[in-house]
Amino acid sequence: MNYNNDELMAILLSREVRDGEISACGALSHIPAAGLLLAQALHAPNADLIILNSIFNPFKTSRQFHYIAQRGELGLFFVSGVQIDRHGNYNLHYIGPDSEHPTQRFPGGYGGGMIYYGARRTVVFRTEHTRRSLVAKVDYISAAGHTPPDVLRHGHPTKAITHKANFRFDKDAGLLNLDTIHPGYTFDDIRENTGFDLGVASAPMTPAPSAEELHTLRHVVRKTMIDTNTYAAWAQRTLGAA
Amino acid sequence: MGVPYVPIVGLVGTDLLARRDDMVIAADPFDGKTKSVVAKALRPDVAVFHAQTADRYGNVSCGYEAEVVILAEASRHVIVTAEKIVDRLTDKEAKGAFIPTIHVDMVVHAPFGAHPAGCAGLYAPDAIAMREYVKASQDDATFAAYLRERVFEVSDHDEYVERFVPRSMREPLRETGS
Repeated sequence: MNYNNDELMAILLSREVRDGEISACGALSHIPAAGLLLAQALHAPNADLIILNSIFNPFKTSRQFHYIAQRGELGLFFVSGVQIDRHGNYNLHYIGPDSEHPTQRFPGGYGGGMIYYGARRTVVFRTEHTRRSLVAKVDYISAAGHTPPDVLRHGHPTKAITHKANFRFDKDAGLLNLDTIHPGYTFDDIRENTGFDLGVASAPMTPAPSAEELHTLRHVVRKTMIDTNTYAAWAQRTLGAA
Repeated sequence: MGVPYVPIVGLVGTDLLARRDDMVIAADPFDGKTKSVVAKALRPDVAVFHAQTADRYGNVSCGYEAEVVILAEASRHVIVTAEKIVDRLTDKEAKGAFIPTIHVDMVVHAPFGAHPAGCAGLYAPDAIAMREYVKASQDDATFAAYLRERVFEVSDHDEYVERFVPRSMREPLRETGS
């Protein structure tokens, strides 16, 4: 079945949403927004969704959102990073060895440096799967995957998801390991394009997007996003464009 | 606000924490064990921010929910610029975040005082002017020139509005009598 990378990732993220939980994504998050709405349409009708800068946001200020995470009431958070390393650290600040003269400067962490520790589960996603995005060590730790056991933390990263593979976070070791490989890619593809050790010698295939997932994404979710002006231009352009 | 410090779930292990001496990892004073980050309170000498409406007594209504309330509560002095100054804010006019006069030292009438950013409910950010700002801020020399042109060599706020706020942004507002 044909689908594009954004559709695949929205479907993979939707599978992480649990019914009855509060699940959220941050600003500039069209793929997780689609994933949240897809989950609500398919298997999580009673999930509370928080999609910032949309009508799916119960809050008036960012402080109100951050305190939901501080309280440990946020079940799932989706976040991306320019760089992600095997320790579950992500970087949203800058690229380059010298912080005073970065090669590239990014907007920074928003509240991720708190939400990453407050949300029960965080799934880190990345639309680029290369050695420059999945690195041995991030240039700047915007949020840390692993912390000592005596540090107060309600949750931690559970997965990293790209358009080629899923990685699972081993909480005790504090390491990401390759979990499943998406249809169309091989173990060698993943090894060649990942800047850190995969932790395993082989991995099974990720279940392909089902006809129901794709149909719901392209019809129900696409319509909802357009009707509610939630990343409407992206939804119109991307969902169903395979 | 005005508290001495605030504990936070998060930030442990980040490079942000590594670079700041106003945030430390401390044990929970109640159980003596659990560690979290404690951030020293910021205590600004002066806070300056923009709101929709203020009154002659110094009460301020932001017009929308905003975090500036805690900024006003934390700062020693507060100066508020406002789109509109009324004689006395009524409960009906006081929409969104409200800052009582007890925190406020000065209110200043400054229509389009948020430009080139926007003022929620009244005008959107000026996209062209924002792009000029971003471009100018790429290096120190162009940013210094930007500040010279738009801040230091402008005699007052009226001149700024006249020269830098596009007429298309101004006219619809004037018609509504603000």
